Amino acid sequence: MSADRKRGNNEPVDTGKTLDFFINGVPCTAYKGESVIQAARRAGVDIPHFCWHHDLSVPGNCRICMVEVEQDSGDPWFDIGCNMPVTAGMRVLTETDTVKKLRRETMQFITLNHPVDCGICNKAGECILQDYHYEHNGRASMSIDRKNHATKFFPLSDRIMLDNERCIMCTRCVRFTHEVSQSHALAAVHRGDHALIRPAEDANFNEDAYSDNVIDICPVGALLSRDNMDNARVWYTKATPSVCPGCERGCTINIWHRKPEWALKALDPQLNTRIERVTPLENETVNGPWICNKARDLATLLERPRATQAMVRGTAASLTEATAAAAALLAGARTAVALVSSWGSNEELAAFRDAFAGRLGATLTAYAKPDHLPQPGEIVEDAVLIKADKNPNLRGATAHFHLLPADVSAALAGADVVLVWGEGVDDGVLPMGAKVIRLDGFAHEHHARADVFIPLSIQTERSGHYTNFEGTVSPFVACFEPKAPVAHAEALFARLAGVVAVAEART
Amino acid sequence: MTSPYPTPELSGRKFFMNFPVTDTSHALDAYRARGGYQALAKALREQQPADVTKEVSAAGLLGHGGAAFPAGRKWSVIRPDDGEPHYVCMNADEGEPGTFKDRWLLEYVPHMPLEGLILASYAIGGRHAFIYIRGEFDLAYRRIQGAVDEAYAAGLLGENILGTGYALDVVVYRGAGSYVCGEASAMLASLEGKKGWPRNRPPRLTVKGLYQKPTVVNNVETLANVPVILALGAAEFKKTGTPKSPGTQMISISGHVERPGVYEVEYGYSWERFIYDDCGGIQGGRALKCIIPGGVSTKILDANEIKGVTLDHLSAVAAGSQLGSGGMIAVAEGTCMVRLARVIQRFYHHESCGQCTPCREGMGWMERVLDRIVRGDGRPDDIDRLYHISNANDGTTICSLGDSAGYACTAILDHYRDEFEYYIKNGRSMHDGRLAVFDPFDGAVPTPLYAGAGA
Repeated sequence: MSADRKRGNNEPVDTGKTLDFFINGVPCTAYKGESVIQAARRAGVDIPHFCWHHDLSVPGNCRICMVEVEQDSGDPWFDIGCNMPVTAGMRVLTETDTVKKLRRETMQFITLNHPVDCGICNKAGECILQDYHYEHNGRASMSIDRKNHATKFFPLSDRIMLDNERCIMCTRCVRFTHEVSQSHALAAVHRGDHALIRPAEDANFNEDAYSDNVIDICPVGALLSRDNMDNARVWYTKATPSVCPGCERGCTINIWHRKPEWALKALDPQLNTRIERVTPLENETVNGPWICNKARDLATLLERPRATQAMVRGTAASLTEATAAAAALLAGARTAVALVSSWGSNEELAAFRDAFAGRLGATLTAYAKPDHLPQPGEIVEDAVLIKADKNPNLRGATAHFHLLPADVSAALAGADVVLVWGEGVDDGVLPMGAKVIRLDGFAHEHHARADVFIPLSIQTERSGHYTNFEGTVSPFVACFEPKAPVAHAEALFARLAGVVAVAEART
Repeated sequence: MTSPYPTPELSGRKFFMNFPVTDTSHALDAYRARGGYQALAKALREQQPADVTKEVSAAGLLGHGGAAFPAGRKWSVIRPDDGEPHYVCMNADEGEPGTFKDRWLLEYVPHMPLEGLILASYAIGGRHAFIYIRGEFDLAYRRIQGAVDEAYAAGLLGENILGTGYALDVVVYRGAGSYVCGEASAMLASLEGKKGWPRNRPPRLTVKGLYQKPTVVNNVETLANVPVILALGAAEFKKTGTPKSPGTQMISISGHVERPGVYEVEYGYSWERFIYDDCGGIQGGRALKCIIPGGVSTKILDANEIKGVTLDHLSAVAAGSQLGSGGMIAVAEGTCMVRLARVIQRFYHHESCGQCTPCREGMGWMERVLDRIVRGDGRPDDIDRLYHISNANDGTTICSLGDSAGYACTAILDHYRDEFEYYIKNGRSMHDGRLAVFDPFDGAVPTPLYAGAGA
């Protein structure tokens, strides 16, 4: 998605042509048009940077990426690595004494008016400024004068809080709203050391569907999520790679949750199994380094009330009893219809197909159904990431089964047993008199009206893969143990189809 | 009405201040009567664009905005016929403290830089040109806008200029009061409607300037020289001034001299004669302490250092400074240099655009240190601290505001370290009361201009 993004000195990079040059004496290859910092990054040499971001334009204002270029004769010259195009044979030095001195001076300037309130800062532990201070400066401030004061807790939007004292004016957030989200909602006002990031007068940052990305790209703790403010120290949490189920883009994400070794014992145990926050997991082929705000709010989607109790005709039953009842219904069906979930993983979908392979197309018809439709007020589709289909794996499901026709009642007409896997099918469309088997992870009223209901695990409790609309397969990993005895769909289908029962009987 | 500025006859050949200023001498008719727009007519009818550039290059015209970059070399980067739009922008954002010579040109000979602008546009194949004028200028703005209007009415601008088929439109744009918008790339950003922030090179402005198209930015005085060169011919023009600095320099002098004002000085004129004869010496017959040669961004020179020095770029550089923008400030003996440094630093703090870390933080830091010294709370290591901040700003920022502030400060420290040491040790100035640079706060530390956001 970032192919069209301005890069390397704000010029497109020509990956067809390469240049040979040297970083610290080691021969390296750069693409034509690449800047020193980009080529160095690909070569595994890290040049410190605050304002430069690989998916944004180059402002060259933090001045920490200063590098030295050896000359054939005369003094070496110094320039910022983010704006300097690589030329053939160039000899770049990144760790000389002068370069280190320049970094140390710049860090002195950057921390001059920074409050250094890491002890109460949400960014502490994952802060670039903190890391660079230890790496490149490590000294006390040379200043004995008071620091500049500016606004604390300035609400940039309903979601984001700005601390102007911590801000180092790298303008990453401003460029993000101009170049990626296109909301043009942020701007820098005033000059000099009293310059401030502020909402632009004629834009509304609340309407920016990607606004929370500025929290990630902020190199300091100036931009913070109001939802996650003071919830957990980052070192008590860990990131589990996952896939956002919010739409068919299937952005790869990190789900942050409490580390098991730091589990809370005294407070609400729910805190140990909740989603603390969601951040993008950078992925060049799907979402780049960005995700939308819906993904940030995944907790509201995945932490809805759960279905935890298996039921047979509305009466509580054990999982084994409910599974046996469902298997019996299916075994006796003459024209069964299964509505397959587009929130199922590729593994689960394949398990379903394999389990019912002998009956598909004969006594069982399976359709892939969209579990979720766009909600009122939700952005249906845009040019950045958000796609209209609000399910993560409809492409994976339709690889095995036909898409459920728009006229659901007609598709189901004449069925004597209907198996509904997942959400999005109300009782109203089900044929009168048909036996209904429901499999779902979330609690719904109509579960009690089904003939058999079996609760399932949800995405954060199992691992698997989704296939996004472009055919890219991305993995997700379980974050938590299931909260209650629920079935894993992948293992369940063989039992429902009777395959396991037969196999067990043989042994 | 006579000129509000003295026009003494001493300092050599004059290109601009060579006529009596009257109420109407700035108008088109008067300018034409003095030979105006003949160079344009000749160039449009008889010369190819490349010939104009060649003539300007041959004349060795140096930029008058401060950096003294050869104008011809800047123009010759652009190929007039490469099919792309090109722009010329006249830099009339004269903001360097002590400099007000462009203002004289804009107020009294506005057609001269305008003719130069048309010629420059013709030379680089421009269809649109811009005049970015400092927002604080009032008469200057009305005069240059009036000149543009007159030129349109007389067929000197617009479609088919002077019947030659060449077309050019000129837009006068008023700045909003930012010093850094006098920096060429910041000016173009401001002209595009963006925040006036300088931008990194490469690419140079002559490759990607206004609206990402090749752009030439020239100072008012530089452009005003162009019709002179074309009228006289490069060979004749080079007879004025010195071999390396041909022509004349408009100098605006202020400070403790008897006759401050704008002077046109032929390059190579004696600096001491200029101060003591042309400008009438130092007020009250005092001794000269030091000179700020070309705006506060240039290094100061003390009275001894200008002895025997002539007013041209080579000599000024050899003496350890630059002619800069021609904004000279004379400082008389008895002035407190600590307070002078603070006034200068206060300016840089106020005008730092806030982009690059060293300048954004360093300017305020230097002002706070100087404030503290002036307040009487200086520490012995403050002088080293000031040197340190200045050096850390040298060459580490996008534009040269940070460098200049550092040079200004270190030059004063180099020359008058003893005054700083005295002030720090005794908590008071070596020169209390006498001819002090105007200090509205009288040594007290003012409340910060910006107490923070929302305030």
